[in-house]
Amino acid sequence: MPDLPKKKVGIIACSGEELAEGTVTRLAALKVLEELRPDETVTICLPLFLAGGEQDRAFARFYPTIAVDGCEKRCAARGTEMHSGKPAAEIVVANLVDGDDLGTGRQLSAEGAAAVDIVAERIAETADDLLGAKWDRRRGEPVPDGEEVENAEAPQEASEPKVAACACGSGIPVQMVQVNGKEVTFIALPLIFERFHEAGRPPEDGTAEELMKTVKIYTSVPAGEEETYQEAVMREYVNYCEEAS
Amino acid sequence: MLVPCSGLGKSLGTVSREAAYEVVEDLRPGQTGLTPLSLLVLGDEETRAEVVDNVAVAIDGCKLACASKMVEESGGHVARGFAVLEAYRRHRDLRPRGIAALNEGGKKLAHALAEEIAKAVDDLSKGEEGVQDA
Repeated sequence: MPDLPKKKVGIIACSGEELAEGTVTRLAALKVLEELRPDETVTICLPLFLAGGEQDRAFARFYPTIAVDGCEKRCAARGTEMHSGKPAAEIVVANLVDGDDLGTGRQLSAEGAAAVDIVAERIAETADDLLGAKWDRRRGEPVPDGEEVENAEAPQEASEPKVAACACGSGIPVQMVQVNGKEVTFIALPLIFERFHEAGRPPEDGTAEELMKTVKIYTSVPAGEEETYQEAVMREYVNYCEEAS
Repeated sequence: MLVPCSGLGKSLGTVSREAAYEVVEDLRPGQTGLTPLSLLVLGDEETRAEVVDNVAVAIDGCKLACASKMVEESGGHVARGFAVLEAYRRHRDLRPRGIAALNEGGKKLAHALAEEIAKAVDDLSKGEEGVQDA
């Protein structure tokens, strides 16, 4: 199988501007992304689930995601679940620290700054837990203990180009493909094609089975529709190879 | 209502928030308020009503224009749209750096943008929409 992106953990902060707790989520997320776990984490702005494209909405299915919220409204967790996928974990600042004197949304107090450290540590610990667990990218959820899911995770040892902390607009490569008259979003398909093509795999029958095995890591194929999905994917791969040659 | 970008991956988002805070807390307190994008994403009825029933000023960080799009998505109308990137083009000497904490250039850019927004608030109070950035 070709190399594909290694597993990372997504962080989505509510970033609520009107509350000090929202600023705590933003600064704590930044601390993890830039200092504590820069190679293991990635983020995207919450509003991009609505304002962005399919590649943005695929975020929480592709990455096991930690939603970091300031208050009990849980905008990050609920918004992510509504528009992308269920977060693998949730952290609420108000449940971790006493919010009486955190400062303001504009300027945190010393207590607010300390809260940033506490929340950042919790995010980093949670990210470590998630990196140690199996993640089913096809279903966008963790694999339950004791259950084996074939190809549940992307390879851990794969090399990966550097990805900026902000994944907006470019984080998850997706491709829309017509299958039986309906448009289906295939997650990571451009990357899969690229890696197969680079590996010198021609768009022939011998490649189809292995290609579909990789495709199914990221995109759910309904029972009974394997053949039509394979035909559609191979058609797209033929086009890709022609354009790439 | 001012609707700033909530981005945390670029310094442009931080500039948009700093400018919004300056207008709401220092330049036009009482006349303006802040709308968090996260509540609009959630479809919070009270927040949507705030945007729809009041004059909305969007302050976008980057070209993805999440703030403007979310106001429209929520049924509101962007009476004035500002883009930090455009503000930077108008003030080339003020290059913003840093996300958690802005550099001097970023702080000055935020201040310059806040002054422009405050002027727009005054115009809107008189019923003039003016020129759109975003």
